[in-house]
Amino acid sequence: MAIQPEDSTLESMSNDAAPKRLKLVSKPSRTADKIFFAVAKAAGYSSFVLVAAILFFLMLRAWPAFESQGVVNFIFGAGWNSTSDPQIFHMGPMLYGSLLIAAIGVALAVPMAISISYFIVFLAPPRLAKVATVIVDLLAAIPSIVIGLWGLGVFSPVAAEWGRMLSESLGFIPVFSNAVDIFLRSPFIASLVIAVMIVPIISSITREIFSQMDQEIIKGAMALGGTRESIFRKVILPTASGGIVGAVLLALGRAMGETVAIFFVLNLTFDDFNWFKILEPSGGAVASLVLARFNEALDTELSALLAAGVVLFVVTLIVNSIASFIVAKAQPWRKL
Amino acid sequence: MTETLSKARPKNAAPWAKLGNRVRFASWITSLVPAAIFIAAWLGFQLDFMAALLTIFLPIQLAFGAWAGFYSYGRKGVNDGLLMVVTFFFSAFVLVLLASVIWSVISEGAAALSPHFIYQNNRYITGTTGLEIGGAGHAILGSVIITGITTIITVPLAVATAVYLTETRDGARGVVRTLLQALAGLPSVVAGLFIYSMLIVSGWSSQVGVMASLALIPLMLPTISRVAEEALRLVPSELRNGALALGAPSYKAFFMVTLPAAKSGIVTAVLLGVARIIGETAPLILTAVIANETNVNPLAGGMATLPTYIYNFLYLGDATSLQRAWGAALVLLIFVGILFVGARLASATRVGSKPKRRKK
Repeated sequence: MAIQPEDSTLESMSNDAAPKRLKLVSKPSRTADKIFFAVAKAAGYSSFVLVAAILFFLMLRAWPAFESQGVVNFIFGAGWNSTSDPQIFHMGPMLYGSLLIAAIGVALAVPMAISISYFIVFLAPPRLAKVATVIVDLLAAIPSIVIGLWGLGVFSPVAAEWGRMLSESLGFIPVFSNAVDIFLRSPFIASLVIAVMIVPIISSITREIFSQMDQEIIKGAMALGGTRESIFRKVILPTASGGIVGAVLLALGRAMGETVAIFFVLNLTFDDFNWFKILEPSGGAVASLVLARFNEALDTELSALLAAGVVLFVVTLIVNSIASFIVAKAQPWRKL
Repeated sequence: MTETLSKARPKNAAPWAKLGNRVRFASWITSLVPAAIFIAAWLGFQLDFMAALLTIFLPIQLAFGAWAGFYSYGRKGVNDGLLMVVTFFFSAFVLVLLASVIWSVISEGAAALSPHFIYQNNRYITGTTGLEIGGAGHAILGSVIITGITTIITVPLAVATAVYLTETRDGARGVVRTLLQALAGLPSVVAGLFIYSMLIVSGWSSQVGVMASLALIPLMLPTISRVAEEALRLVPSELRNGALALGAPSYKAFFMVTLPAAKSGIVTAVLLGVARIIGETAPLILTAVIANETNVNPLAGGMATLPTYIYNFLYLGDATSLQRAWGAALVLLIFVGILFVGARLASATRVGSKPKRRKK
């Protein structure tokens, strides 16, 4: 609570005996200061209140659903029907679909993001690098609804054509098989749209790590006869790997929480798990489930949607905490 | 930092940056020949662009890249060439995708944009009404009001949080910082559900504009407080300690020394925070009825915003609805662009950033 100068301890200057360490702590004495620090402290603690309130109120309203469906069944079971008796609300396919789409999206985005960061930091002439940086940064700020609009109106037909080609040429591999001959609204397209959304996130962190890298190490590796490729593989990537992993996890959290962009490019299937047929038009996403069912939901279903929100919140909270921990470890220059 | 370092050196300090004639020749061949073959094959045989790109262009390009590496640097240059080709290919792919997003919004949106699109509202408009009447005026107004209320509530809170993180020596700062980072990853739909479950289900309020503003607070708070914290941290501690040593009370030291010094950083933080929430859709759908008419009262009646306007017409899905959605997307993108440019301009003059090098 007290303010202190940067060094909180002072050596006492007296000559006699062992120097005693004195702690210099100034306590705010004036009322105005007390108010100032109290306000700051209250604001700081407000984020505790916020997170606690989110969990508390969601759990409060979600409890009936957890109670009637059973926690395990609710999270891992399949089926979503508000007209059957008893009503069934199991979000398993949605949760799995979220993870699947996020995983494929990240797998597509990582090589692209690393390439563009390497390109911007190490290869491109300064002017081109600046333009590319602005484009990538601007894309990070584009609202997801606009990405959804683009995904539905511009990208889906193109990507469906890619899917058709993939299925026709590589259809013997189960992953690319498609029994229904419809290629729109598949997890494949949703993952590509997600990849477009998260490339800027991954690349902004990767770019910062690349550009903060110790140039002397790279030059040293060059002096020892390293080539671009060997330096990239053996010096740059290992040094940046921690940060890249963190960035990927951050992007994973973002991808799982993404709502509207996926809502418009994915067909939700509540009853079955679509384990791996990524080109078929059936998939799931927790956040899109909420959006899709919210307007018609009554009582128990509403409570089930809130419960889905709780699960989503907890999953992203875990992913994000691990991610920010790793990113913080990988960027020591950001430390105090 | 590294950039200035490398600029400070004389040019011949980086001998590897100089390319010999051999290398230059090889790179020209490598960049031109495969592209020429690809275009010839694509136009000549009427192949699908993507298929031709992956099955014809990429293998030829890889082969040429490997050859160029071998020709310029010998055997160990082969991997170099391959790396360059792969990097350029992926980078170009990303940039094309990203540019496609921006370009399609601009081109499709410009077709729908007209003066009355900016000021008229959505009354009597259905999915198939022509573009001659109706517009997103009510949505623009709604966006400004809802975002404005959120900003008014969140900015003091976020800046105070940043003060807590930088000016105090409280023990819980680490936990608060972690919590803020966790909040930064909060799925926006959960923020909507939170307000819905806390205030709307319990009957405190119906789905009105101010609920949407409240739902946006947890999304805006971490953005502003994180950037503001970095801005405050960049203020040299000598300034602060100097003020304290002159006998100023802490709050005066903050308001008269630290805050003015960090002003541009705080402005950047606010602009980035607004840019973060102005495009949020899911929480608004859950907390405010999407109105068709102009409504300036956030305490009663539904309210439309630009994102929900886009969502609404995207949901209808007719040809003219899609055009309206594109038009609104362009308006939204212009808003985001202005905020983005403003943030860049403000942060360009940030205190504590490295001074510009004078030209010799």
